Amino acid sequence: MAEVAIERLSKRYPRSSEAAVKEVSLTVADGEFMVLLGPSGCGKSTVLRMIAGLEPITAGTVAIDGKVVNEVPAKARDIAMVFQSYALYPHMDVFDNLAFGLRRRGVPTGEIERRVGLAAAKLGLSPFLRRKPHALSGGQRQRVALGRAIVRDPKVFLFDEPLSNLDAALRVSTRNELIRQQQEIGTTTIYVTHDQVEAMTMGHRICIMDKGEVVQIGKPLAVYRDPATTFVARFLGNPPMNLVPVELSHEDGGAAARLCATGIALRQWSQRTLAGHRTLLLGIRPEDLHEDRREAGAGSDADRLVPLPVRVAAVEPLGAETLLVLTLDGLSAEVIARIGRDTRLRAGDRATIWLDTAAIHLFDPGTTRAIPRDL
Amino acid sequence: MAPQALDWRSPLRRAPLLLFLLVYTVVSGGPFLWVAIMSVRTTPEIFASPYALPSRFHWEKFVDAWTRSNYGTYFWNSIIVVVTAVALLTIIGAMVAHCLARYRFPGDRLIRFVILSGMILPPQLLILSLFQILLEYHLYNTLSGLILVYVAGHLAMTVYILEGFFAQIPQDLFDAAKMDGYGDFEIFWRITLPIGVPALFTTVTLNFIILWNEFLYAVVLLTEDDKRTLPLGIMHFMGSHQLDVGMVATGLMIAIGPVIILYALFSDTMIKGMTAGAVR
Ligand SMILES: Nc1ncnc2c1ncn2[C@@H]1O[C@H](COP(=O)(O)OP(=O)(O)OP(=O)(O)O)[C@@H](O)[C@H]1O
Ligand SMILES: [Mg+2]
Repeated sequence: MAEVAIERLSKRYPRSSEAAVKEVSLTVADGEFMVLLGPSGCGKSTVLRMIAGLEPITAGTVAIDGKVVNEVPAKARDIAMVFQSYALYPHMDVFDNLAFGLRRRGVPTGEIERRVGLAAAKLGLSPFLRRKPHALSGGQRQRVALGRAIVRDPKVFLFDEPLSNLDAALRVSTRNELIRQQQEIGTTTIYVTHDQVEAMTMGHRICIMDKGEVVQIGKPLAVYRDPATTFVARFLGNPPMNLVPVELSHEDGGAAARLCATGIALRQWSQRTLAGHRTLLLGIRPEDLHEDRREAGAGSDADRLVPLPVRVAAVEPLGAETLLVLTLDGLSAEVIARIGRDTRLRAGDRATIWLDTAAIHLFDPGTTRAIPRDL
Repeated sequence: MAPQALDWRSPLRRAPLLLFLLVYTVVSGGPFLWVAIMSVRTTPEIFASPYALPSRFHWEKFVDAWTRSNYGTYFWNSIIVVVTAVALLTIIGAMVAHCLARYRFPGDRLIRFVILSGMILPPQLLILSLFQILLEYHLYNTLSGLILVYVAGHLAMTVYILEGFFAQIPQDLFDAAKMDGYGDFEIFWRITLPIGVPALFTTVTLNFIILWNEFLYAVVLLTEDDKRTLPLGIMHFMGSHQLDVGMVATGLMIAIGPVIILYALFSDTMIKGMTAGAVR
């Protein structure tokens, strides 16, 4: 049980010109499941390895339960880590792999056997205790790696993309297994991934990183609903949020955005907030574009929906739903809409798509930051 | 179609390879076989007809060789020198290789360069200075002196082979052991060494074979008869007046015994060590 707090943590690798991690601050509460999410190379692993004590810290602090551990060696931090490569000791059988950390801590033999037996049973590894790692399947190896962390009962769990070597089905079941484990044990967990489904489903909170910096921290749905920058808006969500440039016009009733000859009233922003802007980026998620007015949901006031004349460039049926790739007159970028699977639209058709104005996001094209709603 | 084409062509394709292997085996195995045959024939028999097969097996020559000269002492000296030197080489070499493969520290490249450049110096070049140094430290004409020289001389190759292997052990294993609470030396002892066993066998076998047959340093640095090692002992049979060819052959066969046993035991693991790439 522990709280992990990192303060303005930075890392510059020797012989490299740019810092890999820049002033990252993050507090993970006791028992919390925090996900670090970001594209490849954004510094997630580096942050994790600094928390673990495997990488020297260039600047900033890592504190566990209020005590700064910058100078505490990895072996003394009482943290367990699961590596992407699993890192099972190839010359030891499964039992010894699980017991290795316990032996070092002087746990009595009987207790080691009990704990290893328990963890093995929980993870379905009991039949393989005497096998060497090379004689296990990928999924079994992954569970050994997990078991090695669990038996130690550490203060903190660190996971570095533990599921990325598994096939899709195994990934889903192991993900659920991990969620259950964490709920049961309640150990503070920091989990690195670049898979947004893992991030959305597993994390109590997610921390999105880009180019070595933290961009946004929050509950998964809150981040999804209110992305702080265009990067988060495009990174979270599949397909990503549509971002289109719009002209602002300030009328007596309030500000409106002009998107290819269609005026869109911006009712959630005050005049004052938008006063300084001429052009903005308008963000709309694919699921907030509707083929049919009624689809938008019962009880919604009708004038929330704005019609957009579009041309269908492509139709991509995914099974449960269908993606439409749309072009708008006077707009170079394509727009994606996610609609029901029963659509009759075909590529080449002209159609009207309904945009839900309540779901609009606005971003400053200069800073890429979101302009918060204030009405 | 394709497999059939392969079927009739593959023996043809393999023919040059087989021929090469055959020639190689004859060239390298032939002399050995010849010496083996001579070791059970007497010198007069050999002079009468050098290439003949034995008419009678003179096994008693092996007993003779052992008892008639100081062979027991030479053998024992060789065992002491070579086993100690190989043990030291393996431990020190593994530690050095582990450090060079695992740690980045100021001057690491320079240290690697200095150690490995030891491989390119010919032994003849060093012998005078070694002689002088051993004399000054009262190690001249002692087995410990020879052991030290052997360790120093073969450390470079040992480090070279081991570092190549250790560097391929994934870093994550070491990190995992650190997270499991182990310190640097324990990681060397419990991770690097056991995983590196194939490479260790390789260096043990190579060092053993080379040192067991080493002549130059032994002949210069050891002068007393009862300090001598086997390669010098064989010289004994070459006397100053006449060459006892039969006994030289018998002596050689005795000398080569331990090497063959070692090779038979370790060759499998050794080949693996030379070719093994990934650990997992
Ligand atoms: N040992 C190293 N030496 C120099 N640069 C490094 C080292 N390790 C990582 N980097 C650099 O630091 C940056 C961050 O790397 P890091 O491994 O933390 O990324 P990541 O977010 O974990 O990416 P991925 O999702 O691909 O694992 C990258 O630009 C990488 O090239
Ligand atoms: Mg990584």
